[in-house]
Amino acid sequence: MSDIATAGSRATWRGARSTAANATWEVPDIRRVLQLVLAAVWLLDGVLQYQSFMFTKAFGQMLAATALGNPAVVARPITWNAGLIEHHGVPLNTIFATVQLLLALGIAWRPTVRPALAASIAWSLGVWWFGEGLGGVLNGAANPVSGAPGAVILYALLAVLLWPADRGGRPALFTAARPLGARAARALWLVLWASLAYFALLPANRAPQALHDMIAGMADGEPGWLAAIDRHAASLLAHQGLAASIVLAIALAVIAAGVYLPAPAARATLILAIVVAALIWVVGEAFGMIFTGGGTDPNSGPLLALLALAYWPARTMAAPPPPAAGHSPAGGEEGVTA
Amino acid sequence: MTIPGWILDIFAAVMLLVAVVSAARLIVSRSLRGGDVDADIDVIDVAHLLMGIAMAGMLTAGLSTLPDGAWEVIFGVLTAWFAWRVYQETRASGARVLVRGCHAPHLVHSAAMVYMLLALTAPTAASGGPGMSGMGGASGSAMQTLRLPTLALLFALLLAGYAVRDLDLLSGPAADKRYNLAGTGIAPAGAALATASALAAAPSTAVTAAGPVTAGGGQGPAAWPEPAETEPAASGSRGASGGGPGAARRLALAPGLETGCRIAMGVTMAFMLIIMI
Repeated sequence: MSDIATAGSRATWRGARSTAANATWEVPDIRRVLQLVLAAVWLLDGVLQYQSFMFTKAFGQMLAATALGNPAVVARPITWNAGLIEHHGVPLNTIFATVQLLLALGIAWRPTVRPALAASIAWSLGVWWFGEGLGGVLNGAANPVSGAPGAVILYALLAVLLWPADRGGRPALFTAARPLGARAARALWLVLWASLAYFALLPANRAPQALHDMIAGMADGEPGWLAAIDRHAASLLAHQGLAASIVLAIALAVIAAGVYLPAPAARATLILAIVVAALIWVVGEAFGMIFTGGGTDPNSGPLLALLALAYWPARTMAAPPPPAAGHSPAGGEEGVTA
Repeated sequence: MTIPGWILDIFAAVMLLVAVVSAARLIVSRSLRGGDVDADIDVIDVAHLLMGIAMAGMLTAGLSTLPDGAWEVIFGVLTAWFAWRVYQETRASGARVLVRGCHAPHLVHSAAMVYMLLALTAPTAASGGPGMSGMGGASGSAMQTLRLPTLALLFALLLAGYAVRDLDLLSGPAADKRYNLAGTGIAPAGAALATASALAAAPSTAVTAAGPVTAGGGQGPAAWPEPAETEPAASGSRGASGGGPGAARRLALAPGLETGCRIAMGVTMAFMLIIMI
């Protein structure tokens, strides 16, 4: 081999590997970023499903408990499914965890983002019924502080709102409006947050000790700092159930109406939504009870915050460019800012 | 009951695969450089190799190699190295390198390894024997857990974030120039490497195949060759014909493979952290 060839080979090699080693990620448009956050949550969901608790009979029994109080037509399939998981926990739970892991990877991998989002909608609806008993919506047990209307239905909603398509050629007012249009996206937001406000006022949730008991019960098995927060919050809410429920319902109603307000006011209500979501996640959901080893998902807090970001009013939203030849289905987003 | 041992074994097998791939990358790249050391590049492959071995040992006690103390020192040094590189990048390009840069995920991986090694508590029942006490060593009895579980969740979130970011990087528009494994194999990164292979294999054609390569290497690191310029050369070379050592080299050195290893390790590490909370 000649010296020139050898040197050329090394230079080429060094250039290739140096560039690869120093490859930087070009931050994509806001919708793709939100899709990636959704993928990360699915990834966390998937690895949580591999926890040892999920392979025990107790997991099936936990699912069976969600049938209580639901109409027979809803409850029977839940009970059947829970029995199946109780008896075949290892293979079924392995499948569940792996499916969720694949959904995460599929959303993050651009060529498969559409099928993965579509599959996540179907999966979420199934889990919402068979795993969460429709989030307690039909049995009066739904509580926004503990994750109503069911965290998993929010995955489906996000998959719809972050679908990589653009309705019409006009610039969208916010990211969630791109696939559905502003009117439909706002209606979904209104239904979600108004229903949360309604759930906050359910008799079971406005009882004097309801919130206190629920939050105090979260402290068991949590790290010291989180248990202290829960105990402190619970003591503040002791015998204040009705007042706390009314305040929460008002805040949720304001958030529900916020997306119909002019941009500055809408931003303020979206910030309120993120703050409420954070409070719910930390105080009411204890981070989805991940620290206890029994959390199947991070619960609704982070997903509500993610939803709020999808409704953030755009400052400049260029018309979507035509899809670039040879690019993935998730492409066609470059150049669009929100 | 704990996690079935075969699930841990599957993750351990993936980690061993990462270690083997990283070792192959290290050997091939060193041989192409005639034994020269390029710390910035080699450290990444070394880190992947060591993490693959260590994580396989943590997942399955039968695969444990070095004692915990040795691994703590190794990953402590790697953490310090990557922290230094991230610091340098941050000084040059600002805090955005934490999101966009390539060394930040390696820093998180190394730091998470140090955390896991230091925070592991002894299982309540029999462990895996001498050396690194694998999680699988307690299969059928009790899992090991981690002290300071908040840190475990924080690391898991970061790892999940970097894993999805890397997948986007691997499949995004920039991948056309960096990670495309389709078509002729690996282009244009692969094409550059194929050119290098062609140069090594057939000097007579190498001069024309070299294209953008600066003969003599006087201009320093070469930029990414354009696919149109290099692909014909690559497809005309022996290595690009789909077999032989050239193709194997190109496959081993594909930048996407490095990122793929990082994704596999990130997901596995997040899995380990979560199940030990």
